[in-house]
Amino acid sequence: MLSEETVEKRNAPPGVNSRSLSIAHSAADLEVLREIENVYFLPPSEFDAGRFVLEHAPATSCDDIERMFTKLKRQQQVVSGKALHLISQQRDNCDREFKEIQTIRDQLSTTLETCQKAREQLRAASNHLTISTFVILANFRKRQIIRSVLKSLELLRSLRSVEKDVAELLTKKEYYEAIQLILKSKKAASSHKEYTCIADLATRLQDTLDMTEEKLDSVLSNICYKFDENVFRKLRKAYALLGKTQAAMEQLHMHYSSAVNESSIEAVKNYVGNAVDMKFQDMCQSVQPNKAPICLLNLCENLFLIMKSYFLLVDWHSKYDDEETVPISNNVFEIEKNVSREYIRQKLKAGLVRIWHDVQAKVSTFLRSSGLEEYPFEKFIQMLGILRKLTQVAEVFCGDKSDLLQDFIKTQSVLYIKNYHRGRMEELKLFLENEGWEQCPVKSTFTLLNLQEFKQFKKYLNLRSDTSFVKAQSDSASSVHSQDDSVYISKYFKQSTNHTPFEIFRNENITNDDIFGLEPEAVSDDSDDEPEELKRDFVDESDQPESTKGSPSKTKDSVIVANTTLSVLRHCGQYLQICRYLPQISLEVVMLMNQLFDYYFFSVHFFFTSDMDVASTTLYSSKLNSVLKRIKNYIDTSNSGEMDGKIPCPESPNHLNLTSEETLHGLSERIVAVESVIFLAKQYELLQPYLESIVASHQKMILEHFKDNTLAVIQDLRVPVYMCSASKAVEVGPALIAMSKVKWDVKDVAVEHSAYVDMIIRKIQVFALRLENVSSKVTLNSEVLSVIWGMVSKFIVHLLVEGFSNATKCSNGGRGLMQLDYRQLFLKLEKISGLKPVPFQEYVDKYVKAYYLPRKGLEEFLQERTEYSNKHLMALITCACENKKDRQALAAIIEAKDASI
Amino acid sequence: MSESYEYLFKFLVIGSAGTGKSSLLNNFIGNKFKEDRCHTIGVEFGSKIVNIGGKSTKLQIWDTAGQERFRSVTRSYYRGAAGALLVYDITSRDSFNALSNWLRDARTLASPNIVILLVGNKKDMEESREVTFTEASQFAQENELMFLETSAKTGENVEEAFLKCSKTILAKIENGELDPERIGSGIQYGTGTSKRLNAPKKPARTPSDCACHM
Repeated sequence: MLSEETVEKRNAPPGVNSRSLSIAHSAADLEVLREIENVYFLPPSEFDAGRFVLEHAPATSCDDIERMFTKLKRQQQVVSGKALHLISQQRDNCDREFKEIQTIRDQLSTTLETCQKAREQLRAASNHLTISTFVILANFRKRQIIRSVLKSLELLRSLRSVEKDVAELLTKKEYYEAIQLILKSKKAASSHKEYTCIADLATRLQDTLDMTEEKLDSVLSNICYKFDENVFRKLRKAYALLGKTQAAMEQLHMHYSSAVNESSIEAVKNYVGNAVDMKFQDMCQSVQPNKAPICLLNLCENLFLIMKSYFLLVDWHSKYDDEETVPISNNVFEIEKNVSREYIRQKLKAGLVRIWHDVQAKVSTFLRSSGLEEYPFEKFIQMLGILRKLTQVAEVFCGDKSDLLQDFIKTQSVLYIKNYHRGRMEELKLFLENEGWEQCPVKSTFTLLNLQEFKQFKKYLNLRSDTSFVKAQSDSASSVHSQDDSVYISKYFKQSTNHTPFEIFRNENITNDDIFGLEPEAVSDDSDDEPEELKRDFVDESDQPESTKGSPSKTKDSVIVANTTLSVLRHCGQYLQICRYLPQISLEVVMLMNQLFDYYFFSVHFFFTSDMDVASTTLYSSKLNSVLKRIKNYIDTSNSGEMDGKIPCPESPNHLNLTSEETLHGLSERIVAVESVIFLAKQYELLQPYLESIVASHQKMILEHFKDNTLAVIQDLRVPVYMCSASKAVEVGPALIAMSKVKWDVKDVAVEHSAYVDMIIRKIQVFALRLENVSSKVTLNSEVLSVIWGMVSKFIVHLLVEGFSNATKCSNGGRGLMQLDYRQLFLKLEKISGLKPVPFQEYVDKYVKAYYLPRKGLEEFLQERTEYSNKHLMALITCACENKKDRQALAAIIEAKDASI
Repeated sequence: MSESYEYLFKFLVIGSAGTGKSSLLNNFIGNKFKEDRCHTIGVEFGSKIVNIGGKSTKLQIWDTAGQERFRSVTRSYYRGAAGALLVYDITSRDSFNALSNWLRDARTLASPNIVILLVGNKKDMEESREVTFTEASQFAQENELMFLETSAKTGENVEEAFLKCSKTILAKIENGELDPERIGSGIQYGTGTSKRLNAPKKPARTPSDCACHM
């Protein structure tokens, strides 16, 4: 109520509300209102009306109080009235106001609603706009995180698959890429150490790297067997990436060494029964001899492949190193690289020689234990051919002259030829022991050139007058060969070829000339139409009945050869053929060839002089003696069986009849034998120029010595051998007895020669008849005949001197008879033998005539004549000197001479 | 070269020219067959150690030239042969006809006990055959020869021929028909036996007591 009052008061200034109040009341009421103290209009909170009244109430009389009461009451009525009046007066306003308020209120609520709606929509809008962005952002961020996780995971996965990938790359031979991958992976791994699984992976990577390196190493070792440029280039790149270029080269060299070892064993293994745990050398020893050539071939081929591979390796380096060489720079790294490259270059260069030495050692080991000398010739030649090719390979490979191998070839060749020779000598011994010494029917023009074995030497021998030409020709030819060879061999070192220079040995039909790359011996021009001749035309085709042979016209130019002669000549041909392939041992071969001759010669002498029954000193020239002595030195004449390097002496054949007088004690055999030796000597002489052309110049002397001191003296052999027959022409005993019956102290010179002369002549006639028979079997040329008759003559003069010296007493007449006798004898002998003059006459002539010498002359005679024995001389002085003193003096001379000897 | 053997037999291969004697020998000692071989000159030689009834025996084989002109040379090798292959060419009637002469030579010149095996060579050339197996067998029977047909080209019966002949010799030694000790038997004890028969050496020559001095 108060508040209303106040509002009324405030809102109703007195002046404004007067209209609604009655004007009657208004004056009084106004009065009352004016009287109301103003304090009452204070707000109740500041003013307590009750209290105020009480305080201001008059304390003395009730009336005052009553008045006051009434006054207050009146005031209150007025105020209330007034208030009511005011309120009613203001009611419409209020209502109106209320209505307005209500309107405002409505409006407000609409506004609020709108606001709310807007707000709501705003909120939705803001929701829509901001939050999705954030989500996007957040998602983006998430995505990134996930991505990085994914990347790591992928990396991990790739790390896990490195092994597989590397293996794949390796099979594709992408070594560089493989190494690169591993290294990259390793790097990646090390940068992701935060993952716990990386540690494991890293070790696995290391393992992979190790394994890859091992794999590379094995590829590298395969390079040894077959150099593949592409593979090697890749390897090299890979090793460069690993930083192990130099180490790889060291490793490669090691591989080469072991490759040489392994492929050697591989080559030999197949030819050894149980090769497990065997040393190479032992394996070599157990290779069967018949398998050895093929085994050697395999060995050489295997080793060649390694050499070729190395050769290509070196070649590759020299080709590509230059390209890669960086110009000298100060970059430490580059310098180091260059140093390493230089090191490798040196290593490679030395490696060539080293590998060749390894190869050589292997081959030598094989050869040493293979017992080469026992092989059949063809196999031996094949093996030598293989070795020769190997030396040629070596020359191309590293320029080495393979002295070791050459020496080996030489010693083996010598061993071989000696062994071969031993066989031939045994065969020769057999041939000689079985030889029937029949003349082989060959043409008079026959020479060793007609033998097939000498076919290839024909051109050299035909040119014998011009040995220098032959020599020059063969020299130039050989040098051309060696040049050709190296070009030829080089071809096999090309990577593109799968062939080896040893392949030709696999060919069954290979000839020795192919093996040795000799030009096929040009068959001389004229021989195209004469191979038939070579085969057999030297054989005398006349096929005459034996009885017609020996006609004088035939005796001159016929050739006497025995079967064994031909076989010796053939051996010579074979020796020379061997020589062609083994030029380094020419001298040895020639010496052995000469030994064949020696042996043949010795045997003939041994067989046909064993029945010599006259003293032989004057039958042997000093040269002949020394030849025989020389040969005897290496022939085991004791046949003790202990040969100590000596050649067994042939056993005297027992199928030859050397005792029959009918055949003049095997004269035809003797002639065939001796003449065949002489023919053989001639053939050897024919060969001399060729032999000289194949030995070194300082060795020629040896050949000349043989020619001059052996071949040239061979015909001296006729003398002792024919003497064996000639000396049996006249039986010595009966002849001497007959001579002793002659009286030499006759006074007069006889007219008629003595009886013994006729007896001797008869014997000689018989001899001549038998000789004629011999000539039906053997063609006798004049030389032979003259030697035979010479020997008969020589025998007779000795017989005569012997007989004359038996005369203890001799007169001038006796001396004359002696002359008469021997003149008669020689006259007849001359007729029978056809020799003019008959040789050796002076032997008896001088002896008989010495009788007439004065004392001084006799002294000289005694001193000078050594061909007479002391017995002869004593008999001479006994007859010649009548003076006893002279006789003693002369006898002293003889004795002194005797002592001085 | 110390090959050891118990016996050594001297063998001959005889027969007309061109019958393949050298080819037989070469086949036997292991050489290759040569289609176009030239005639043998004089004699040639081959040896081989074979095992006969457990005894290693060395055959010393003399391959003679068949051509008439060499007859005198080859005859000198007949002496003391223990066995012989008498070869003819089945494609050559002439070579068969000449057999009697060869046989006579062999029986007279070689040891009378010589064991001879008749060989009809060139068995591989059946299409040109001129001598039938039957008639050759008959000839062999009449002359107490063993008989085989061979081919040096294919090697058929070659070894058999030598072995058969050797076996017969050995059998004769064992039953005493042949005496290896007899000179000219063509048989020697080898290095493998304790007894080594040395060819009797001629007594050492003493210097002649002939008074002649030369």
